[in-house]
Amino acid sequence: MKMTKNPFPVSKDQLLEAYRIMRTIREFEERLHTDFARGDIPGFVHLYAGEEASAAGIMMHLNDNDRIASTHRGHGHCIAKGVSVKEMMAEIYGKATGACRGKGGSMHIADLSKGMMGANGILGAGAPLACGAALAAQKLGHKGVGISFVGDGASNQGMFLESLNLAAVWNLPVIFVVENNGYAESTSVEWAVASDSYVDRATGFGMPGITVDGTDFFAVYEAAGEVIKRARDGGGPSLLECKMIRFYGHFEGDAQTYRGKNEVEDIRANKDCIKTFQARVKEAGVIAQAELEQIDRQVLDLIEQSVVEAKAAPPPAPADLLTDVYVAY
Amino acid sequence: MSPVVGIIANPVSARDIRRVVSHAGNLQITDRANILLRILAGLAATGVHKVVMMPENAGIYGHLRRALARAINNGEARFPELQLLEMKVTGQAGDSATAARMMRNMDVGAIIVLGGDGTHRVVVSESGDIPIAGVSTGTNNAFPEMREPTITGLAVGLAVMGAVPASVAFVDNKRLEVAINGRQEVALVDVAIVREQFVGARAIWKPESLCELFVTFGAASSIGLSSIVGLLAPVERQAPFGRRVVFADPRHAPFRLSAPVAPGLIEEVGIERVETVPVDTPMSLTVGSGSIALDGEREITFSDSDRIHVTLRNTAFRTIDVPVCMSFAASGGLFLDSTKQAPTASLARSHQLGE
Repeated sequence: MKMTKNPFPVSKDQLLEAYRIMRTIREFEERLHTDFARGDIPGFVHLYAGEEASAAGIMMHLNDNDRIASTHRGHGHCIAKGVSVKEMMAEIYGKATGACRGKGGSMHIADLSKGMMGANGILGAGAPLACGAALAAQKLGHKGVGISFVGDGASNQGMFLESLNLAAVWNLPVIFVVENNGYAESTSVEWAVASDSYVDRATGFGMPGITVDGTDFFAVYEAAGEVIKRARDGGGPSLLECKMIRFYGHFEGDAQTYRGKNEVEDIRANKDCIKTFQARVKEAGVIAQAELEQIDRQVLDLIEQSVVEAKAAPPPAPADLLTDVYVAY
Repeated sequence: MSPVVGIIANPVSARDIRRVVSHAGNLQITDRANILLRILAGLAATGVHKVVMMPENAGIYGHLRRALARAINNGEARFPELQLLEMKVTGQAGDSATAARMMRNMDVGAIIVLGGDGTHRVVVSESGDIPIAGVSTGTNNAFPEMREPTITGLAVGLAVMGAVPASVAFVDNKRLEVAINGRQEVALVDVAIVREQFVGARAIWKPESLCELFVTFGAASSIGLSSIVGLLAPVERQAPFGRRVVFADPRHAPFRLSAPVAPGLIEEVGIERVETVPVDTPMSLTVGSGSIALDGEREITFSDSDRIHVTLRNTAFRTIDVPVCMSFAASGGLFLDSTKQAPTASLARSHQLGE
């Protein structure tokens, strides 16, 4: 294959990094899908497979000073924000070596050192947290931003709408990312969202909103870059709607009777963000198939190692039940 | 049987990154529905009984339904019957193409389009010989003119009902055809060749990425890339030729121009040369790789191995000339109550007397 000049807005190293992030999320989720079905994992898991381009395209603009508040479907956000994959796996397996010492599980993975304020089992509850982080960044003057991820369903929550108001009133450097995968659990957007436009909601609170194809890494990367830069420059909050598709159900075990026949097969074949990314970078002659395959192997090794270590690790001790629960000010 | 009018209002228009990078407007769903109601009122007033509309799931029809139900319950005949096309809604720009194709097959009298240049482009790619009337609601609006939608509804109604003859109501338009390895795309205003070899967020707002530009028309008062031609060597909509601009790095270009390349964005571009584009003459590109933007949005990536030609076509599709229709109606007294004597005679007399 002829290698040509890179026509993309990011370097080749960054493209490889974006691919590694998306591939890691995908394999992490595929592995959980298998292990959960086997009964190895306690609690619930909500998989991010199919939505990787959103997390990767946004998080590539962030540093550890930037804080994100995630959702119940948070594994992809954690990985893209730099949380240790091994600690995440151990956490989901409920082990003492986990990111939160095995006491949080899938829906409460957090790592403040990476700016990951936590997945969140309460819908819409991440939005006020992101506003708080953005207020801190504004007061400290370090140009950090807060990112609130929210699903199409949770965007109907009062907390989310109040956060839009607060962010606009205080001109906070916060970005509300609506990851619209079309379903609030099993309820389609058309049935549950008045006016059906997240962009209009942003406009109603006096901030700009834009919609992008969330299955296209480059579309997300470009749009996220602009709204994040706007926030860092003092331009205030904005809303970014990523239209996307989830490969699996709302939670693992969901029979998905609400989805159309062949809907999932069709999107796996035609709207897979990783396949699209691979095709683009190879077509442009910037990255070779062998380079992608090398990353694929490394990622699979990492996931396998994470599971082996998670299974071998001890659970939290009974004495740890009340540690890490209360904070003294 | 009275003619049917088609309406395409795709809620995905005017949602892109230009709202952040250049402060472009966002016409809310509720306002789009209000525009449709004003169009429907105009159509009904001229005798149109039936309208078919593209279905969508973003709430436009939900607002319409309330207003239509209220009118029916009040016994008012303010609106025509509204029927939704039976088609799958994808929530993408492609819905506009599907709807346009179906409306052409139904042989509707005209299609009214809500949107900017991009939405109109998609409709025209499938609408064939059906006349188009544009209502500007998009971001980049060189093609549809800004006008109160009630008036567009009235003019379209007059045209399709035959109150204004076709020879007066309809005008021919040019378009650009882009052939890529045998596949064809169209543009109504401009085809821009840009350096980035990815579609990304689609909009173009970085002038340094421009390589060359083809336009069907360009007015000095236009917004968008065609304003570059408008400010250098304007071309009218009905002129039998177009223009091509080849760009250069502003630091070394023979001359530099500041132009409103997008709403809220006045940028300096370096100009190598400007040429006249004759009709029906396939033109090759000067660059080997990049992406092709149609009416302001990156749509297709290409590389050295692709065979690409751009051709300007005359009399490619028809539009409804709203001001001409309304002037014709006024001069013919079409809105006057025919049972009463026209007041114009006394007006003319008083004017003559200098009163």
